[in-house]
Amino acid sequence: MRILRPLLAAAAVLALAACETIPKAPAGPYKAGASQVTLGRDWSDVSVLLAGGLKKVKVLSIDGPILNRLYITDGLAVGESLVKSPSKERPTPKLRAGMNSSERMEFVADSIAAMGYQRVETMKPRPAKFGEQQAVRFDITARTEDGLDVQGTALASEAAGKTAFVLFLAPAEHYFQASLPEVEKVMASARPAG
Amino acid sequence: MFRGRAQAMGAVAATALVAATPALSAPRPPGLKPAVDSVEAGLWDLMDKAEREARQKAELNTDAALNAYVRDVICKVATEYCGDVRLYVMDRPFFNATMAPNGYSEVWSGLLLRCEDESELALVLSHEVTHFSENHSIEAHEADKRRRNATMVVAMGIAVVGTVAAAGSANPQSAQSIMDATSSLIDVVYLASISSYFRFSREHETEADIVGLRRMAAAGYSPQAGGTLWRGLIAETTTSDFKRVREQDTRLGIFDSHPLSPLRAEALDAEAAKLPAPTRVAANRHRAAIRPFLAAWLKDDLRRRDFGQTLHTIDRLSKAKEDLGVLNFYRGEALRQRGKAGDLANAALAYQAATEQADAPPAAWRELGEARRRTGDAAGAKAALATYLSRAPEADDAWMVRETLDALSKGD
Ligand SMILES: [Zn+2]
Repeated sequence: MRILRPLLAAAAVLALAACETIPKAPAGPYKAGASQVTLGRDWSDVSVLLAGGLKKVKVLSIDGPILNRLYITDGLAVGESLVKSPSKERPTPKLRAGMNSSERMEFVADSIAAMGYQRVETMKPRPAKFGEQQAVRFDITARTEDGLDVQGTALASEAAGKTAFVLFLAPAEHYFQASLPEVEKVMASARPAG
Repeated sequence: MFRGRAQAMGAVAATALVAATPALSAPRPPGLKPAVDSVEAGLWDLMDKAEREARQKAELNTDAALNAYVRDVICKVATEYCGDVRLYVMDRPFFNATMAPNGYSEVWSGLLLRCEDESELALVLSHEVTHFSENHSIEAHEADKRRRNATMVVAMGIAVVGTVAAAGSANPQSAQSIMDATSSLIDVVYLASISSYFRFSREHETEADIVGLRRMAAAGYSPQAGGTLWRGLIAETTTSDFKRVREQDTRLGIFDSHPLSPLRAEALDAEAAKLPAPTRVAANRHRAAIRPFLAAWLKDDLRRRDFGQTLHTIDRLSKAKEDLGVLNFYRGEALRQRGKAGDLANAALAYQAATEQADAPPAAWRELGEARRRTGDAAGAKAALATYLSRAPEADDAWMVRETLDALSKGD
């Protein structure tokens, strides 16, 4: 808890500061462009804080972006990113043509690293569905720069040159497990663009 | 401090410096503790705080053997301060080392990866020890308190910007700073305050270069390492994917106390010519120390997405003709990720070269198979993928490789 406490404080600051401008994402259908999921509970739409202006990337949270964040994307085209690049000299991962599942996992891991997380690793890839499309589901471990253990899980699927992602990240201590049942339902409900 | 140009790119915007004239004083005595309520005590308190934060960082590398090696080199070049220095190796893919007046010292993995031998590491550490022994932090502080205050304001300003941005701005530009802030709000302040305290004057840097070179030569290391290391870093910068990094030398030379210029390498060469020949020859000790981390550090380096610099670094590391399985695998990875015309074919060659070495990671066969599949060599792809499965039957991505193999067999 030594590490989690200041983060909770920081999250509280964000939550307080955010309440006037952060829209709700109420339980029910939620769209990221043409991708759609069904939320089982109310979330906050923190895209304005975390998507860096990328129109195809939506980010939801329950307790604040440090404690849980759920990325849902529209179908991303070749050359598009999950994370906004802060400058030309600090490029973030871009989708390339002809990527396979293991490269989509690498893309997610490198994108999480570009968000500022450390020691990002992916594991346990398994076949899954994104609506009717073939998808890959996998798990993630990482640490915040301040040394907090983070867990994640992600779903990635490509069809007709567009790749959609659902990605959940939360501290390994309590927060990941607490929201996992909801995240499982959200992933099972995911329908791709088209 | 000691850092390369590429690293400066990500750091806090450079502030124009008023060059301080360092008053050359006697080296500090070992075991020094500042007087209570002195200016130095204030600096030490800040550094103690930064050091406590460093101990919590996710990037801290706690490997005993690696830490013992770096510490041993510090103690060889600075026997008298061996008991004063507390070393932290950080897994950060940038060329950087620091040594604070309280003895808190950081050496980053990007630096260890780029030193070709122990002498080059000894050179960097001697440079840092010279800042430490000559009290450069204190002198800089006393020489220009106004600048110091100004830098602290910059550091505080970042904290304030972070908080203001957190107040819910709809501006996507500040949303980026939120993204940084939410992941590492404290760290931005930490890095800013650290870098402000290690911004020395040009005179201090020259002194650290020359006195440091004498120090490492006196410890028996090759003084030629100075010029070699600088030229290596300059050469790497010219291979950057980014125009701004390639041209940074002239641009930052005006502001930065640490110009990465050929002049600096020449000054080190001239001094080296006056120094005794080395008595320590341990070419492989450095590589042996960093070997267990080569793969992880190259993966970190790739995440900078400056493939030109990573490929250059791999070329330099390959000169020793060791670790060619790992090095060729990461050459392939860099080419595959860069994905320019011709890169995939060259990646296949690099993966192929990796698989011919005893230290090749199993993934080299998987990636070789995938690169061959994409370049139209179905038979070669099948052979490589089958080898991957036989070498890593328990791999958690084996099912994905089997799917690819099945598709190849059906002639998809
Ligand atoms: Zn220096």
